Amino acid sequence: MTMLNDPSMKEIINDFCDESASLFDQLEKSLNSLEENPSNTKELENFGQVIDRIMGAAKSIGATEIATFCELGKVIGYKSSQIKDIPLIEVVVAILFDSVDMLRKMNLSLKAGNDTSMNKLNTKAFVTRLNWLSEKFKDIERASCAPVSTTLNQNSIDDLMKSLGL
Amino acid sequence: MSLKADIKILIVDDMSTMRKIIKNMLTQIGFTNLSEADDGASAWPMIEGAIKEGRPYEFIISDWNMPQMSGLDLLKNVRSTAGLEKLPFLMITAEAEQGNVVIAVKAGVSNFIVKPFSAQVLKEKIDKIFNK
Repeated sequence: MTMLNDPSMKEIINDFCDESASLFDQLEKSLNSLEENPSNTKELENFGQVIDRIMGAAKSIGATEIATFCELGKVIGYKSSQIKDIPLIEVVVAILFDSVDMLRKMNLSLKAGNDTSMNKLNTKAFVTRLNWLSEKFKDIERASCAPVSTTLNQNSIDDLMKSLGL
Repeated sequence: MSLKADIKILIVDDMSTMRKIIKNMLTQIGFTNLSEADDGASAWPMIEGAIKEGRPYEFIISDWNMPQMSGLDLLKNVRSTAGLEKLPFLMITAEAEQGNVVIAVKAGVSNFIVKPFSAQVLKEKIDKIFNK
């Protein structure tokens, strides 16, 4: 049973939703700043940092759709902070605005405990769009944005730590 | 639980929901003396202050990715401080890359947990760290 369907965890889910809502405000603040000045790519780095926080907690409570959105948003934010192509940054900002909007809707559905409204959001189509955008940055290497093939699960980490003598 | 329940534990994470989740799990396991910090930068003075008071933390559980001071930098500070060379330090991360794990092991991490994790996994890691 994940936390999402554990009634005793409802308070933590609500806290997650409230904390995330305030972090969405921070994400939009970064995007507003980028809209005014697309060359201020430090704001994309900030975006990546903030959405990464939401991702970790979303994974922990079992909100996998929100976690997937955040994971892609993090990769796009961090990697696009390293480019100088202003027209592409403008596309990134527009899509990230839409992503935050979608995350807000998902967050509201989660807080309401409403699976039906979550299903109506058509998140899969949006994930495809985010994947398409993240592909644009696949050649950019960035710490904290390793491809899935190089990330380890808990068992692999345990094996690696054993081989390192721990 | 073989460890004493009032072992002094510091939980470091920049997301308050994560701190609550970890506190909840530690309480389930049976621990009672829990403190929290929202970044490595705010944890470090707490760790230093606790040493000065003569009641140092006995276990640190820290997230890796934090804005002002990362879990790795906090670990390096801890390990370079006299008396804290062997302080148990559990690192939590949402995405573990092999390179990062090696770096953390070289820096002296005691063990690693990947999000999401259960109270059972957390307990196993704690048992492993303290039964070495």
